[in-house]
Parts: sequence; structure tokens; C-alpha cells
Amino acid sequence: MKKCDVICPFCGCLCDDLEITVEDNRILGVDNGCTLANAKFMGKERLTSPIRRTDGGWEDINYDEAIRYTVDMLLDADRPLLYGWSGTHGEAQCIGVHMCELVGGIIDSTTSVCHGPSILAIQEVGHPGCTLGQVKNRADVVIYWGCNPLEAHPRHMSRYTTYADGYFLDNAFRDRTVVVVDVRETETARVADEFVRIKQGGDYAVLSALRAIVRGKGDMIPPSVAGVPRSQLERIVRMCKDAKFGAVFFGLGLTMTKGKYKNIRNAIELVDELSRHTKFTITPMRGHWNVYGSNEVFTWMTGYPYAIDFCRGIAFYNPGETSAIDILARKECDACMIIGSDPGAHFPRKCVEHLADIPTVVIDPVPTMTTAMANVQIPVAVSGIDAEGTAYRMDGVPFRVKKVIEPTLPSDTEVLGDMFARMKEAKGL
Amino acid sequence: MKVTLEVRPRRKPHLPIEAEKIVPRTFFEETDGLSVFRGNKELALEEIFSVAIEGEAASVDGVEITILGDSSRIKRVGEYMDGGRIHVMGDIGMHCGNFMSAGEIVIDGNADAWLGREMRGGTIRCHGSAGDFCAAGYRGEKRGMRGGTVEVFGDAGDFTAETLAGGTVIVHGNAGDLAGVDMKDGVLTIMGDTSMACANMSGGRAYVHGTVYDMIPTFRNIGRETVGGDVFTRFAGDIANRGKGTLFIRNYKYMD
Repeated sequence: MKKCDVICPFCGCLCDDLEITVEDNRILGVDNGCTLANAKFMGKERLTSPIRRTDGGWEDINYDEAIRYTVDMLLDADRPLLYGWSGTHGEAQCIGVHMCELVGGIIDSTTSVCHGPSILAIQEVGHPGCTLGQVKNRADVVIYWGCNPLEAHPRHMSRYTTYADGYFLDNAFRDRTVVVVDVRETETARVADEFVRIKQGGDYAVLSALRAIVRGKGDMIPPSVAGVPRSQLERIVRMCKDAKFGAVFFGLGLTMTKGKYKNIRNAIELVDELSRHTKFTITPMRGHWNVYGSNEVFTWMTGYPYAIDFCRGIAFYNPGETSAIDILARKECDACMIIGSDPGAHFPRKCVEHLADIPTVVIDPVPTMTTAMANVQIPVAVSGIDAEGTAYRMDGVPFRVKKVIEPTLPSDTEVLGDMFARMKEAKGL
Repeated sequence: MKVTLEVRPRRKPHLPIEAEKIVPRTFFEETDGLSVFRGNKELALEEIFSVAIEGEAASVDGVEITILGDSSRIKRVGEYMDGGRIHVMGDIGMHCGNFMSAGEIVIDGNADAWLGREMRGGTIRCHGSAGDFCAAGYRGEKRGMRGGTVEVFGDAGDFTAETLAGGTVIVHGNAGDLAGVDMKDGVLTIMGDTSMACANMSGGRAYVHGTVYDMIPTFRNIGRETVGGDVFTRFAGDIANRGKGTLFIRNYKYMD
């Protein structure tokens, strides 16, 4: 049987046109998906039962034991960290916030290691954004800055920019101009109309120079800025000012390089400046499929988008102090529950060492690098495959991800709901 | 009144202690029932510190607090301080002197991030180095430090004096990236080197006696000028932000 219009739960594009072939509650094939989608839907390395570390290896335990261990661990801790959340649906994230408030811990999503700086900048100067549909139908100039969608978001260019038809563009492929700004010539740069190679760490200077040129102050710019000739900067500004609708997309090449969130602020202020001449927007290329959802859920429940500290009973937010990397590197938590992410594969060594030193529980369908640091792992159904819930696309549009096969394991919502009920009972609530 | 707080050894020494009660006014008004937080646990002050109090004070300015032992994870000391003196004999944790309006804090060792955050008045002297966001603002705030003096005798981290809107910041060593970024008013002096100084500055004055690396290209070179016997290059900017700030630099290098 073929299931149509399936949403892919891998990256922030949330492509909603996949066709999945299912027989006997098994996925046999994926059509319309990119290689990343294929790997996710066809993955077969799932755990079938919770596991607990022993002296010499692992032993199977039941869900009751695993959940009891997690509840006791979180209630006993002075400063527990509840990290991840970007690989699960909104309903589970809601329960996570309630749990965190109840145990007086810190809740953080993968935002703090991807587009956290973008949010800090947006809090300073706002966000002139739009939906991907607007970009697809209107944008005649698209700038990819510090991102490589052909490899990280493989269908972004075919669904929304370079290769997509646009309602208000006669010949979208020819009418659109694509600019790539990066420190190296990526796959995406090779298909762009213009490639701007920047020296590592020079993004802020280039953005400032572009802003000054837009404002007619180009005469003071040195002949070369961070490896980019002034003539090329002036050409890009002309291109942007002549556009009917411009869209900037940016990735971790801008958020996690020298200048951090001030880079994003500068990019937003460039877009603001360009919008005095034409219509321009800016959108972060979000990575995890529901990382945007974690920011939405956390914000509407706590007032803050990530890195929220409930230790004092009220929400306190200060990335750099209350974000997962900083807390782990400084050994400032004494227990950790990880869901929907794999910090063992991505965090600095100091952080991973601390995870190995403290009680750690992982909630994940498959063994990951983080499993090596965990005391207990609880397998769950995969959202968008055998569990369903709400997710937000990179432009902030919510979708309902559906299940394509019947679950054999509980979902994140069911496992967390059980934990939360036991916590309330233990607290007499 | 002399208050001596000596940090006791802790079973989990890395967990931060939030101790905003450690300000002279607290001890001037009431010394019983004081508490601090270790994560989600509220503890009596005596569980974390051995406390000794000598004499009395006629006003808050007569209270002097001395902190001994490993206080590197004690946060928020001197928050909302409005008089008196705090002397930290070693290192101090984050947010020391937040929103301080009067009095003096002296730190013999290093200070962690957000030293003197959104400070309004008074003086902080750090004889070691300071972490990131020294004399800066809070997330999303348009204005950071608005008055008083922060003097760091060692180095300071990234984003020093971010959104500075008043007062004086002096760093005797080097400062990290983007010192004085989004600065609006006040005076920033860096005796050593820094990089990307005063980006997006819209007002105030900054002096860099060392070298500015990765100089922001949108400052207009006004020419050479002698200040206090030293020859600087004077810049106006940040032009990208219609800025009206003034930047005096001994040496600079663009990322060209």
C-alpha cells in the first residue's frame, strides 16, 4: 500500500510530498524523498526494549523499571538538565516543560548549538521573515549565507528556490539569481550564479560593508573586505536593490563563527536596510525537523525559546549560562535526561565526559553515540513514522506529522506522560 | 560592621550557588534567616559559608563583606548593591555586581561572565581577568551598563562593554572579540589589544592603546590626534549604523 503526502521528519524543510510504500506494517520504499529521508524511513537499527548499563555491558529491563529509574534520578537531582527535544513532536515538548518545572531543572533544545544566536539577534532587532511559500512564488534573488542546502537540506532548492516554479515568476529557473556566501566552494556554491568567498571570521565585516554601500557610503570601504573585492560587494548590492523580492537564508556558517549572534543582527539590519529599497526577508536554515517547534513550545509555555532554568521555581533565561554546552562543560548539572538528539556525537569532549560522570538517561529509538554515556536508554516510536504529533517547519508553519505504520513501542508523549504522572504523585500533586 | 564569609567545602563543588543576598544592605538590615540556592535546593547561608559578623554599622556604607575560600561558583554576589564594600579574596562567579548602583566591589582573583551587568553606579575593581560580557547588558536589552566604573587589571572576554550606555570601563590587558559592540555612550578604554572593536557603535568614546585586529571597515578615518601624550588614529562611526561614536586606536589591521 502506498501512503501519499507523508511529511518527512528529518530536517527543517518538513517536505510534505513523500510517498511511502508499506506492507505488513513494514516500510518497503520511499518516493520523492532525499537520501536523508530514505535513510530515516528505511532505518532498521531500532532498540526493542529499554536497556540498563551493567558492570560488563547492558541488560534488558522493562518500561516500568526504566521510567522509575528516570523519575527517581530527576527528583533526586539538585540541578537536572533535560536536553534535546528537537527530534520529537510538540506534545512531548509540552510535557517536558511541565516536568522540568516540577523537578526544578534546566530545559534546553539543540537550538543552543545551532540557531540560538539567531534568536538572540531576533530578540534585539526583530525578524523580517516570511513563509517558504512566499519565497517560492516571489523571490527573484536568493542568498544562501554560511549554509550548504544541497547537502544539509537537499530538497530546499528544488522545493522553494532555484529549481522551484514560482507563481509570480514567468521562468523561475532563469529569473532567479542565486548568490552563495561561504568560506569554501560547496556543492551549493557550484550551482549558484554568484559565489562570494569570505575569509573565515570575516562575515561581520562583509555585512557591515554591504550595509554601508546600501546607504550610499561605499566610498569609505577598503578595496577588499575579508577577501571580498569592493567591486563584488557593490555588484551584490546593485543586484539586491534591483530585486523585486529578495530572500536571505543563513546557516551555522554565520551563527557559529566569529561574531556569533552579532553576525545575525548585522544580517537582519542589512535586510532591514534593503527593505527601504525593495522587499527583502531573512530565514534561518533550521536543522532538526522540529527544532523550531521546541522554540515555539518553550516560548508559549515559559516566555523563553530555549536554555530555560527552572531551578529557582521561575523561568530564567541566559544562553551562555543556562545552555546545555555551558552547563555540561562547567559540570553544573548532576543528572541529565536526553531526548530527540545525540549530544554524544556533537558536543565537545568536556561535555561528553561530564555526561558519562553523572546519571544519564537517553530516550531514543536507536542506539546513538550518546548511548555510550547513558545509564539507561528507553526506546520509543519514531515521530512521523510510527507516532504522530505537531511539528514546525523552518519558517514557523506548523504541520501534523502522521504515522505511516502502527507502533510497537510507546511514543515520546506516552513515556514522558507516564514519568510526569509519577513525578506528580511523588510530589503529592 | 565587618562580615566575613568563608566558603565551606561542598560535596558537589561544581554546582553553582546563587547568592544575591550577599550585599551590604542585607547584613545592615537583617542577619538571621538568610538563604542561598544550590540548584533547586534552598539552603541556609551557614550551610555554604561559615559566617562571622563583627560590630555594627550606622548606614549601609559602614558594612564591609569579605569572602574567603573558593568562591568561583558563587553567583550574583553584589546584585543590586547600593552601598558598602565587598572584598572577594579569590575568584568570583557569574553576575557579580549586577544592577549595582553604589558602593565598591574589589575582586583579588578572576571574575566570571557578566561582571557588572547593567550596572548603574559604584565601582568594581577586578585584579585578575574577567569573563565574557564584562560590563555588558542582558539578552535582548538595548542598553547595558549605564553608570559607574568597572576596572579590570587582567584581560576581559568577548563582548566586553556590549551596549555600553554610560559610565567608564577600563581593561588593562586585552579584550576579546567585539569589545564595545553596539555601544551607545560612556567611555571604554582598552590598554591592550582587541578585535572588531566597537562594531555597530552609535555613540560614546573608546580608546584602544594596543592593536585592533579585524578592524570594522565602516569607520571613517578622521586623522591622527594626540590624546594624553599618545598619538592615536581617530575614527568616526559605525557608519553602517549612522553611528556618531568616536574611536581612538593606536594600531589597527583590517581583514583584507
